[in-house]
Amino acid sequence: MSDFSFARVKAVLWKDLLELKKNNGMIWSMLALPAVIVLVPLGIVRTYVANPSDPNFRAIALYYDFTVDTDNAARFLVDKVLADWFVLYLMMPVFVPILISSHAVSGEKEKRTLEPLLSSPVTPLELVIGKSLASLIPSVSVCLLAFFFLCVGVDLVAWPLAHDFILPNLMWTFGVFVIAPLFAFFGNGVAVLISARVGDSRLAQQLAGLFVLPLVGLAAGQFGGVLKAGPEYYALIGGIVLVLDLAIVFSARRLFDRERLMSRWG
Amino acid sequence: MSIVVEGLEKRFGERVAVTGLTFEVKAGEVFGLLGPNGAGKTTTVRMLTGLLAPTRGKGTVCGIELGRASDGTALRKRVGLLTEQPGLYERLSARENLTFFMRLHEVDEKAAWKRTQGYLERFGLAGREDEPVGGFSKGMRQKLAIVRTLVHEPEVIFLDEPTSGLDPQSARTVRDAVAELAAEGRTLVLCSHNLAEVERLCTRVAVVKSHLRTVAALTKLRREGLALEVHVEGEAAALLPALASLPFAPAAHHEGNKLKVMLASQAQAPDVVAALVAAGARIHSVARAARPLEEAYLELVREEDEA
Ligand SMILES: Nc1ncnc2c1ncn2[C@@H]1O[C@H](COP(=O)(O)OP(=O)(O)OP(=O)(O)O)[C@@H](O)[C@H]1O
Ligand SMILES: [Mg+2]
Repeated sequence: MSDFSFARVKAVLWKDLLELKKNNGMIWSMLALPAVIVLVPLGIVRTYVANPSDPNFRAIALYYDFTVDTDNAARFLVDKVLADWFVLYLMMPVFVPILISSHAVSGEKEKRTLEPLLSSPVTPLELVIGKSLASLIPSVSVCLLAFFFLCVGVDLVAWPLAHDFILPNLMWTFGVFVIAPLFAFFGNGVAVLISARVGDSRLAQQLAGLFVLPLVGLAAGQFGGVLKAGPEYYALIGGIVLVLDLAIVFSARRLFDRERLMSRWG
Repeated sequence: MSIVVEGLEKRFGERVAVTGLTFEVKAGEVFGLLGPNGAGKTTTVRMLTGLLAPTRGKGTVCGIELGRASDGTALRKRVGLLTEQPGLYERLSARENLTFFMRLHEVDEKAAWKRTQGYLERFGLAGREDEPVGGFSKGMRQKLAIVRTLVHEPEVIFLDEPTSGLDPQSARTVRDAVAELAAEGRTLVLCSHNLAEVERLCTRVAVVKSHLRTVAALTKLRREGLALEVHVEGEAAALLPALASLPFAPAAHHEGNKLKVMLASQAQAPDVVAALVAAGARIHSVARAARPLEEAYLELVREEDEA
């Protein structure tokens, strides 16, 4: 590791970002999920705001919390859907890096570019770091952008009801800037580890994609009223992912071997 | 010495890909690596460029010991490898592909581009630098991959089948470039199935087939087995049965009234002539000839099969 070179990491980062920029199909798939993540809650908030005195909303609010102030049921539900939605927002920082990394890592093998690459001075560690950055930078940017649009959208849609800025709030801000990057690190790590073992980028994507499922399970639990989302709840999830991230760093150390990469990847 | 290897071996699990490699390549030499498909040429080149660690044996390339992981980067800065597949990034332009490797090698980009431009012009790629490589023909890709191998001015250049898939004119351009690189004093190791090309470019060759079969100067390899060139009256083909009936049954080619008979030693010559005369041949002339590399090569590879 003594001959680590930031210049080579930068070269890999530059090349991968350039390839990503020129891959229109990838750009569109990267943006599809964020679009859904932003637009769906806006739709839901809109129904609450459109007719806040709908008696059905009281019933729904009471189902979640029987101590609720039923005069403000719509506002309660807006806050609740936003608190719950964060778990689905987290799908994005997991899924987008999976999309990019599995393509970038298995792609080198599929396109037979790995051997020339490994015959250059670049070390496997530099390669993994460069590729991870090339996946994390666009992923985290997309997540921040999506959060920006979500805040603007929610505040516009909910203004008639709230007469105040609902987002950004403390929980979302902490989640977007701290928990989401931890998830992105996790998604990227899983994708790199899997792609290094299976040569096929589609298969790698699908296998890594399975790691999104626990989030869907959590969301189901929340909307079913079994799990109650809140700051402590998300802090706990963030803590778990932090531990998983450390486990990934640990198991990735075995990846940093040129020959292993050659025989697994090449 | 640019390359010194001793008893180098590579196994993949139980399978021995190549073993018993012992040879030296002098600085400035063009060294040929010959062998049939699956003989272990690519594996050898991968060991010599630090991509694979040898299972056994030792060696140095540019004075750097093989198989010591920490020196991998130092080794790769001084050698260049043209891989069997060009392995270019299709979405990127030729310029971006080359820039990427210049940056990986941390060379001064301005100076590197000056040299590189010369190669691009020679290979007829100048003016197309900014097109995506995805639109390049097979030959253009191969030539671009060769240019990429040279961006950091390697001391030792490994070329794994550089002219495969090229049209005769492009193959010629590549061969001329190889000859020029050799003239600049660089060491070249050339894997090829094209024996005419090896004959033209290499001074010494190693023949491998799972293990090292021979290492010799090209001239010696051709001299080792002699050939007789016999001019006869009428069709030479009619005389083949007579040769086949000889106890050592020499291989022979015929073309019109010309017969080329491969000999294992000079002592076989009188028997060949006697057998031809006994079969009724009217001989106009008999001359000693150097055996083409192809014959020497096929014999070496065949012997291996029988062993
Ligand atoms: N990564 C690998 N894993 C397992 N076996 C391998 C691997 N690489 C090469 N081999 C085996 O090693 C032997 C030598 O292969 P190699 O590619 O070096 O031959 P070659 O001389 O380059 O052949 P060709 O002329 O077809 O390019 C073959 O039997 C091959 O199947
Ligand atoms: Mg080969």
